[in-house]
Parts: sequence; structure tokens; C-alpha cells
Amino acid sequence: MRSLPRDLLSHRELLWILIQRNLKIRYKNSVLGFFWTLLGPIFLILIYWAFIRLLKIQISINALITGIIVWQFVAMSLGDSLNSILGNANLVTKTAFPRFLLPLSTVCANSINYLLTFAVLLVFLFFRHAEPYALYFLPLILLTQFALCLGLSLLVSSLNVLFRDVEHLMSVMLLAWFFLSPVMYTNAYVTDTLAARTQLSEATDVIESPADQARITENTAKILRTCCLTNLVAQTELSDASEVTESLADQTQITENTAKILHACYLANPMAGIVTSYRSVLLSEDVLPIGMFVAPFLLSWAILFIGLGVFSRLEQRFGDEL
Amino acid sequence: MSGAGSTTHAINVQDLGKKFLLQSRGESTLKSLTLDWITGRRKAREEFWALRDVSFSVQPGETLGIVGANGAGKSTLLALLAGTKQPTTGSVETHGKISSLLELGAGFHPELTGRENVYLAGAIMGLSRARMADRFESIVEFAELNEFIDQPVKHYSSGMYVRLGFAVAVEVDPDILLLDEVLAVGDVSFQRKCLERIGEFRDEGKTMLIISHDLETIKKVSHRILFLEKGGVQGLGEPEAIVDAYDSRSRSLQSVGLRREWGSGEILIKNVEIHDRNRSPCESFRFGEKLTADIAFEAKERIVSPVFGFSISDSEGRLLYGNNTQLEDFEIPFVEGCRTLRLHIGELRMARGIYLLSFSVHSADHKTNYHRLDHHSTITVTADAAFEGCYMPLQWEMDPRDAG
Repeated sequence: MRSLPRDLLSHRELLWILIQRNLKIRYKNSVLGFFWTLLGPIFLILIYWAFIRLLKIQISINALITGIIVWQFVAMSLGDSLNSILGNANLVTKTAFPRFLLPLSTVCANSINYLLTFAVLLVFLFFRHAEPYALYFLPLILLTQFALCLGLSLLVSSLNVLFRDVEHLMSVMLLAWFFLSPVMYTNAYVTDTLAARTQLSEATDVIESPADQARITENTAKILRTCCLTNLVAQTELSDASEVTESLADQTQITENTAKILHACYLANPMAGIVTSYRSVLLSEDVLPIGMFVAPFLLSWAILFIGLGVFSRLEQRFGDEL
Repeated sequence: MSGAGSTTHAINVQDLGKKFLLQSRGESTLKSLTLDWITGRRKAREEFWALRDVSFSVQPGETLGIVGANGAGKSTLLALLAGTKQPTTGSVETHGKISSLLELGAGFHPELTGRENVYLAGAIMGLSRARMADRFESIVEFAELNEFIDQPVKHYSSGMYVRLGFAVAVEVDPDILLLDEVLAVGDVSFQRKCLERIGEFRDEGKTMLIISHDLETIKKVSHRILFLEKGGVQGLGEPEAIVDAYDSRSRSLQSVGLRREWGSGEILIKNVEIHDRNRSPCESFRFGEKLTADIAFEAKERIVSPVFGFSISDSEGRLLYGNNTQLEDFEIPFVEGCRTLRLHIGELRMARGIYLLSFSVHSADHKTNYHRLDHHSTITVTADAAFEGCYMPLQWEMDPRDAG
């Protein structure tokens, strides 16, 4: 991997051809072809717009659409990555070239799609009079999201060669991740939920001594899970979210400190940080102190390096396993 | 891989080994791996060394032919040199740009057109589009694909596929060219064209490694030949000598498969030694030379009127000639204990080739086979004349009556 920049430079032509091929295959046999890149998000926006009005979810349409489009890039990149290596077995077994170009080209092709979709989103937000805020952070956010996608793509594509289970695990993990990330809800919603519980616990004054901390950590996982479930319930049963929160709050008691830790844990999910940062920057919604984004952003880049490390170890075996 | 070493070798292979794990229970899944790990059955997968302790080097400008039976490790070696597989042990060092055509595949994508695949192949080699465009015409011309170049390669015939693969591999101007069984495909005219191009390539001072089962051709194009057997180097050197060694080795291996020994055992043929006219043990004879076979046998009891026989078969075990003591009126009243019977063939009038000798001893009425050694010894016959089978003294004559 030390020669990565050199490989990239000497094989830039190949990368470009692979990206083109990825894009071509996606729109093969479709009449509208590349227009789907634009039509896709437009339909998405229309559907969710209708959906949100019907369901009365407590999230602005701008925030929801932003979340969905940001999430789509990650989900599609990962879905395509499953077959980055397997689908090119012919190439991998017969020719020698830097293998990381395959997942890289998958993510790049998806990035091109994403940027076009993103343009549609910007136009949409412009007409919705969204107010951007600190827009100069946008390139960093985009780049970090790319790093996250590439890192995961490297992991998924190489692991899937050795263990075909990855394919089955992926759809489950993606679904779980979707609900763990603030796509259909906002980070503020999570904060509010936690705050509601904090108030309750302060009122009842249950937890005072540090000895009780152990109980709190035990609760941590439970609470995080319930956070997401709350959302699910809220969306599917059209029930008033705050009502659910209150009823749940009765069962859990936490201090302000715990709430902070929990929220940090929640934001450590790179996608929680990334989606929220997009919303902060594009919509001035869900704004958080900049320090809150350090952990998820660093983690995204860490995942890229982990991905590169794992990939370079596993790629030795591609020729034998395919 | 292509470090800047001080050596002048184009390719340097040191103690190269490649181990494969044979999977007995289908694909590896997390479940199977976890189960193996828990039950401690990690060694359940059988190991197979496709290559072991292989060392050799190739000078720049040298053409190295590689011969060996199927499964000897030829293709694995080329895959390791090309970099599509990674060695388990040892090292592969190469200097220069490598182009390869491995196992009838060029890594073409079936859905892409010939043109797109040409550019893809160039990009894989790290060539710019502009450089590829310069070579495009000559590639298409060489591959004789003019009207098909914009068709998806999935519609190509295997001949067209290989032609394009070869054309691309050669025209990207590599320093080292690796070819696996390319000469076996395509029609005769294309094969000739390939050989011409390989010759040009050789003359340009490029390095080549060629795998082929076509021994005559590989002998002609190679400077040296590497003979692989069961993953190890069996020989490396002058084409003529190595091909001969490989040839006789593969034939003798084949004859081993034909060998059979059976009989009731009252008389046992303990040993048969084949000698030339100087009475020294010999396996290869010239046409018309004298051959002697010493048949050492042991009769456990007194056996009356045994008949000893021998026969000559071709390398595939087809009977060409047979004779015995009875037919030649050589009376053996009885045998008992250890003796040696000697067979003299004054003139071995066989066509050039490999022959298998069988020996037998049976009762006079042919009802009891005491001992038979089928296809026991292998001999090689060289001859200047290219007749077939056994030579018989003969004359040709044109009937004079029809004339005029």
C-alpha cells in the first residue's frame, strides 16, 4: 500500500475506464439511461414529500430529503461493492493491476451519481429557501463521506471474496445502520429524548452516587436501541412521538452526564455525524457545536485506513479464491 | 515486484513455492470457519503444493520454453510471474513491463466490445489512451477483426478471442511476454503468424516465457527449456535435450500405467535386462541394431516344457509383434531353480518410436500362465527412415506388361 499514490497515478486511465464501465452497466438496457441519475432523486423527493405529509413525522422535508440522499450514496456504494472483486473475477485472475482500483472505481462511480443527485438537492433546497450555514465546510464533509464509503467498500469487497456470508450480513447491517443514523429523524430528536429522561431522573433524584454508574452503562445499550425503536413506532403507527418518548422516559432514568455520554456514543456513528453535519451546513437545522463532529469524522477516516489495511492483506488471496 | 536490483536478470525466481488449500466441503463461510476453529479442524483442508522450491533466472532477451504434464505447475508459475497469484514461499523478481496471455483468457470483459477491451487491456498495462490509439490499428489488423472490433467479445469465436488477446499482449510493447498455450488455439495460418511475431519479438531482444505442449515448436523458438514435474524443476537447459528428456519421461510414465504383472507363479520371472550388442544395459537403440534380453527366472518346482514368449507393443500398448520359444522350436525340456534365458534379436527392425516389451512364461498348451510381465520394459528406437510400424524387407516393381 506504500505504492498506492504511484499505482493510482500510473493506472489513472484504468480507473477512469472502470468508472465508466460501472456507470454504463448501471444504465444498461434502460431507455432513459443517464437521466435516471437525475430522475431518481426527483422521484425520491416527491415520494417522501407526500409520505411525510401523510405520516406527520416530526422532521422537516428539507432535513428528510437531505438525510435520504446522503444515506443513499452510502447504501448504494456498499451494495455495489459486494461484487467489485467477485464480479471482475475474469480480470483479477487473468491480469495484474492494483486491485484496490476495483472498489475505488465502484465508489467513484457512485460519487459521480451522488454529486449529480446532490446538485438536484441543492436546486430543491434553493426553491425551498433553505438557509445554508458555514457552507465552506461542505467539501470536507463530502470528502469525509467519500473516505467512509471507500473504507467500507474496501472491507466489504475483499471480505466477500473470502466469506460469501458478507452478502447476507450486509442487508441486515444496512437496515440496522439506517435506523441507527438520523435519516428519518434528526439528531435533535435524539437529544430531546435524552433530555426528557434526564429531567425525569433529576426530578426523582434516583441516581446520586457514582456507584450507580455501573447500572447506567448497562442501560446504555438498551436506551440506544429504544431511541431507534421509538422512531420506528412513531413512523409506522402514526403515534405522536413525544407521547412515546414520555412513556419510555418513565422506564429509564439517567443523569445529565449519562445523557451526554450517550449522545457522544450516538454521534460516534460516522453516519450520525455526517448526516447531521450536512443538515447543519445546508439547512442550518440540527446545528451542533463543531467539536461534536470531530469523533465521527476522525472515525470515518480511520475506517478508510482500516479498509486499506485489510484489503492489502486479503488481496494476496484473490487469485486463489476466485 | 519490479525493484531496482543490481542483477541483470529479467526474471529471477528463488525457492518459489505455491500452496493451495483444497476445499473438501464447498465454499468457506463464516459458519464453516467458526466451526472448524471451535472443533480444531483447521487442518481439515488438504494442502497441495502446485509449485515447490523452484529457482531459475531468465536473462533479458532470452526465450524460455516451459514443458510439463498437466498439473505440473506451468500455469501456476506463469500466474505468479504475471502477478495474478501471490507466492506462498520464495520470491519472484521481474524487471520490466510484463504482458501476459494466461490460460486462453486475456481478462476480456464479455459485455464490452473488442475496441473497449483493447483500451481496457492497455489501461491495465498502464498505457495511456493516446499510446493505445497509436497501436490500435495494428492490433486490429493483426487480429484480423476489422468488421468485428465493435462487437461485444461475447459474440467472438474462441479463435477470434485468442487472436485479439495475442495481438494486444504483443502490441503493448512489453519487456517480458508470458504466453500460456497460445499456440494451441487458432487456425494454422494464425498459428504461423503468431510464431512469426514471436520470432520478431525474440529478435528485438525481448524476454519471453512460453508454455506449450507443441514440443517441436517450443524446441524451435526457445533458447532454453524448463521442464516442470509435480511442481518441481525436473530439468533446465538446451531445448533438444530437455524436450527429449520430457518426451521419454512422459512416455515411460504412460507405460507405467500400462504395466501389469500376473500369473499362477510356478515360474517367476525375477528380472529382465535389456542389453545392446556390447552387452551393456541399454534403453535406446538405432534401427537394425542388435538387442539382447536376459530373462532371469525361478521355478519353484520342476516344470516340464515351459514356453517363454515376448512381444513388442507401441507406446499406447497396441501389440505390434509377438513370438515365443515354441513357435521358434526352441525346446526347453524342463526347468527347476534359478536360470537365465537369453533372447537375441539380431536386427531390431522397428520404426522410430517408443516401444514396450512384454515377457511371459506359460505352459505348452497355453492353459496355464505361470507369469506374465505386460509392458515391462521401455525402449526407444531411432531411425533415419520414416516408415511406420515394423520394417519388412520388400521390393517395389511396376508391372512391365501395361507399359506402352
